Order: sequence, then structure tokens, then C-alpha cells
Amino acid sequence: MGTIKKGTTRERNEFVWGWAFIFPTMLGLIVLNIIPIFQTIYQSFFKTGDFGRGNIFIGIENYVKMFGDAEVWQAVLNTFKYAIVEVPFSIAIALVLAVLLNRKMMGVSAYRTIFFLPMVAAPAAIAMVWRWLFNSEFGLLNHIFGTSINWISDPAIAVFAIAVIGIWSIIGYNMVLFLAGLQEIPRDYYEAASIDGATGINQFFNITVPLLSPTIFFVTITRVIGGLQVFDLIFMVMDKNNPALYKTQSIVYLFYQNSFVENNKGYGSTIVVLLIAIIMVVTVFQMIAQKKWVYYN
Amino acid sequence: MKRHNRFLALGLTAAVAAGSLAGCGGGSGGSGGGDSSAPLTVAIWDGGQQAGLQEILNAFTESTGIKTQLQVIEWNSYWTLLEAGASGGDMPDVFWMHSNEAVKYMSNGILLDITDKVAASEVLELDKFPEDLKSMYQWEGKTYALPKDMDTIAIWYNKTLFDEAGIPYPDGSWTWDEFYEIAQKLTKEDGSVYGFAANPSNEQDTWMNIVYTMGGCVINDEGKSGFDDPKTIAAMEFVDKMVHTVMPPASTMSETGTDVLFGSGKVAMISQGSWMVAGFKDNEYIAANADVARLPKDATTGRSISLYNGLGWAASAGTKNPEGAYKLIEWFATKDMQQKQAELGVTMAAYEGVSDAWVNNTDKFNLTPYLEAMDDVVFRPATKSTLAWWNPMVEELKKPWNGEEDMATACANITAIMNEKIAEE
Repeated sequence: MGTIKKGTTRERNEFVWGWAFIFPTMLGLIVLNIIPIFQTIYQSFFKTGDFGRGNIFIGIENYVKMFGDAEVWQAVLNTFKYAIVEVPFSIAIALVLAVLLNRKMMGVSAYRTIFFLPMVAAPAAIAMVWRWLFNSEFGLLNHIFGTSINWISDPAIAVFAIAVIGIWSIIGYNMVLFLAGLQEIPRDYYEAASIDGATGINQFFNITVPLLSPTIFFVTITRVIGGLQVFDLIFMVMDKNNPALYKTQSIVYLFYQNSFVENNKGYGSTIVVLLIAIIMVVTVFQMIAQKKWVYYN
Repeated sequence: MKRHNRFLALGLTAAVAAGSLAGCGGGSGGSGGGDSSAPLTVAIWDGGQQAGLQEILNAFTESTGIKTQLQVIEWNSYWTLLEAGASGGDMPDVFWMHSNEAVKYMSNGILLDITDKVAASEVLELDKFPEDLKSMYQWEGKTYALPKDMDTIAIWYNKTLFDEAGIPYPDGSWTWDEFYEIAQKLTKEDGSVYGFAANPSNEQDTWMNIVYTMGGCVINDEGKSGFDDPKTIAAMEFVDKMVHTVMPPASTMSETGTDVLFGSGKVAMISQGSWMVAGFKDNEYIAANADVARLPKDATTGRSISLYNGLGWAASAGTKNPEGAYKLIEWFATKDMQQKQAELGVTMAAYEGVSDAWVNNTDKFNLTPYLEAMDDVVFRPATKSTLAWWNPMVEELKKPWNGEEDMATACANITAIMNEKIAEE
């Protein structure tokens, strides 16, 4: 990339303009993301003082503490539980909806709008509404089913209840991406398949899914990262008295708790560095695995 | 080439992922421009007090010509914002201080030192304010904030549920044992009504009052944890007994909140601070069905002890207009404005003797018990860095609340945690 051979004027022009166009994005990324990453890593080696003053270098002490901290590993487990439920369901449901809505029928844009609406609503508002739907005393869910399940305060199921909210809020966004991908698939394939006698289900698995795989891959990568970063839903839904909090709090929740509530920014940074490492590893594996199932034309 | 791109993509994806988190950490540098003629920004966390305080601020502008701008930031965000502002040098000019956080802000020079101005003041009558409250906002002989208000604790009871159970309304002469018997009578077998409710986080407004009334303490005279005091343990075991016999399941209380349970007739009594009055006044069900009684007494000593706390008005050390900021703090602490705050029903006053006006701010409840509670009060326990042990203490109490641990073990664990954190201060 860095080396340009003596090219034509046109090549040089393209090079200059190419960089000029991505410069604003690069600048934003460097100032808002890349520099803070290194600051965070730097901070994780300190015992931080109040208001960012009087930081004391303590080497890897925060890391030693973290590797022995059961709460951190519980949070890692909780985060994975959340992501493992949220990602596949939100993708599968969105894919089916996208296929169903990718045709000419009455009120198709109304349906698309309805499914996309949760994406427009503020996450805090969504969480508040679901918190009351799930409420064991007055909640609509228990009222309809005639049950008395502690959806969000039973340690065994609370994390999955949160994942349901996550799925509900993200389906519309995934669906729009899939719809865009579906428009790219030429109709000829489906016509040819119909003539050969393939059923709708056959067409879905043998034409739609393979040809949509680059989009599915993109959505999976971004959703896995998003899922591992879950915070706002848990923060809004779980009260600090909630008995299920320990088995529900995510890595980012713990980071927030340590950095901003208990005012231990050094340890908070250490926790978030762990998350960066986890996301890197998971993403590398996904990059390797994509060779087996993603088809680029 | 393709491979190359992919690694770049991988790097960037991870960078975006990490950056969106790390971004929270960076404080914004540089403060907004402004000179002494710009309005003073005033920050508080309680929306219930906004209307009344706005009136007092309007009177201030009228009298001094200094404009103000009041903003309400919800409790949790308030402290995040204040801390980010303190680190980045962009804070509100005048704001509330709480006993949990005061030492941290005072000892780091974040707050405006008003010692000399207070000493030279002609309008302040500091001897009218409670000693504990004044000294809470002093650090190494210097004053950083003036008392804003004072709060005490009392019992709220549901008159309708008392009538149904045929129990006479409490007159404040009850003991905690009698209270427990009443709570038992009010608790229905089918779980539709419970006698009492409290979460582990209802410390200042519920269980700490029981601890002090029964002769225990949270912080003892040597400045160490009081959770190894037999009287504290006995009081906490009494609380534990109530949790498991006359209260809704801990999960229900944590999900719904005790004030909501009380406001929906699910719980017949709760113990709450005077700061809740403004909110309860606006709740139709509570306004129609509830009233207030004094906290029960201890059977042997006959004392009924309420915790009390008070906020302080402080200013930022970096304010562009220290003169104006101090004038505003002083304004809030004058007798007239303390009285006005009480009359408007904002809160009880910190200034001695003017809170009678607060009792009459509503005819929906009899608020006299809050005033009577001032006869025998203990200041909300605090050390140099209170929050460091306060949160783990509440966290540990969730275990006995949920039946995962007995109360005596929890008290032993809390003693160890507290003493460790206090030793680090």
C-alpha cells in the first residue's frame, strides 16, 4: 500500500483523491478511537487517583488482580451467554423476515417500517418498557400467561430475558441490511430454479443463503462485537438490589461499575482491555472460518 | 492484496469496537467561554425540587441582577458528569454536594474555598445550622459548602389497609416489636398484601435507623466498622426476621421498588425519608390513602432515633464568577430563603426553627413526625471515602435478603470489608 510505483498521472490522481476522501473518517477514527485505546491500555497499569490526578504506576498488578477476580470471569461468561443467544436469533429471524418482505405485496413498506421502529426508539426507553413487561408483579407477560416467573430477577434466566430485549431491538436493523443484500441477487436464478422444480425452501437454502453470505458475514461480525459490548439494557433493566445482577452483569457493565461508580479507573481500564482482547480473538476466528462458508462472486 | 485488506479490515473493526468503549474515558478538555456576566449554571439531581428552587433563583436574580440557569441531572449521571467536569475543568458554577462525595471533592481542591467570605458575611447565622452538617462540608479547617437542607426518616402507612385489618392508626408511641406484630397482622396469607418492605439499598431510610435505635452503630467511636457490635448484629437479625416474614420476596422488591409497591397497595408500610414527600404528594393513590407516623422506639431505651443528612451548596473552584457563585450560596443559606424553601415544600430547612412552614406545605399528609424526628437524630454515617465501603456493604446484604447466607455471617463479612476499606483511606 505504502509504495507507489511510477504510475500514470491517472493512477497518481486516484491515489491522492482516495486518501483525501477517507481522511475525515481516518481522522475521526484516530482521535476518537485509536488514541483512546492506547490511553486506556496505558491507564490499566496505574492505580488512578481522584479526578485523574496522582496516578501511581503499579505495573501488572491490575492484571494479576483481574485474573484472580471471580466477578470478572462471571461477567465474561454472562456476556458470552448473552451474545450466543442474541446473535443467532437476531440474524435468523431478521433473515426470514427480510425474505418474506422482499416481494411485491400490499403494505410492504408499512411492515418494513414497523420492524425497523425499535431501531429508532431510544435504548433507554426500550429498556424501561421491557422492564415493566417483564415485571413479576404487574408485568404484562406474567399476566397473559398466568405465570409468576421472575423473568429479570431469577439468576438462571435473567440474562436470557435481557437477550430477548436485545433481539427485539436489533431485528429491524439486520433486516434492512439483508433486504439490501437481497436486492443484489438476480431474479434469473430463482426463475431457473422454479423451472427446474425447486420449492421455496430449496431456493432459500440453495440460492438465497449462499448469495447473501457476504451480508450475513458482515452482520455476524458486527453483531458479535455489539453483543459482547452489551451494557445499556443491563444497566437500565437491572436494579442494584436485583439478586440476579451478579449472574447478568456484562464485562462493560463491570467496567462502568469500576470506573465510574467505584472510581477505580485503572482497574476499569484493565477490564476493558480484556474485552478488546476477547473481541480480537473472536473476530480473528470468524475471519478464518468465513473461508468455509462465505461466497464472494 | 486481498489478504492485506482483510487484516486492515480486522484491525479497523476491532479499533471501532474498542474505541466506542474507550471513548467514554476521555474527559473533554477546555471549558466553555464565559465571563462574569454570563448566567451562573446551577446543577441539582432532584427534579421534585426544581420548581421551588427556580422561584428562589428568580428572587436572587431580582435582588442581585445575576442571572442563573438551573439544570436537573438524574442522580447517577450527576456524579459521572460532575467528576468528568472536575477532571476536564468544565463544571457547573454552583451545585449540590452530598456527604458521600464531599471529602473527595474538598481534598482535591475542586470546590471553591469560601472560608473567608463566610467569616466576613453579614447575613449568615451559622450557629443556627446543625454542627455535624456544617463540619461535613469543612476540610482541614476550611469551608467549602453551606448546608442546604435537612432530612429525617418516618414511617408511611396505608390507612385503607389498616382499616381493613381493623388496626388503629399508629400514633408514634409504638416500639419495633409492636411494629413487627402489626406488620404480621397486615401480611395476608395469599401474598396480596405485605406488612412492610425494604431493599438492602434502603439503608439511610430504613435499616440503619433500626440499627441506631437498638443501640448499634455503622461506624463506631474509633472510626471502625460497627457491624461486629452485638447490638448491631441483633438489630440486623431483627431486620432479617422482617425480610423473611412480613416483606415481599427480595426479587419482587428489587424489581419493582418499595415505593411503587407501597403506591399500589401491595405493601402496607414503608420507611422513607422526608425527601420523598414531594413525589408522594403527586401520587394519587398515596395522597388518598397514606399518612405518616414517627419511627418506632426501642423497647428498653424508649428512644426512637432517625438518621439525618443534609446537602450542601458548593461552587466550582474554577468558576469564572466566584463572587456571584458565593453570593448565590450565601443567598440559599439566609434565614429568609431557608424559610422560603420550607414554605414552598421543597425540603425541610437546615436552618433551625423554620421547618414548621414545611409541615404545612401540604394538607394531604401529617408531616409533623418528620419534624419530631429531629429531637433524636444521628448523622448519616460517613468516613473519608464512604462510597468505597458503602456499596460493598449493600452488595453483601443482598445475600441474607435472598436467603443465601445468614445475617450473622453477612455482618461478619461486612465488618471485614469495611475495616479493610477504611484502613486504605
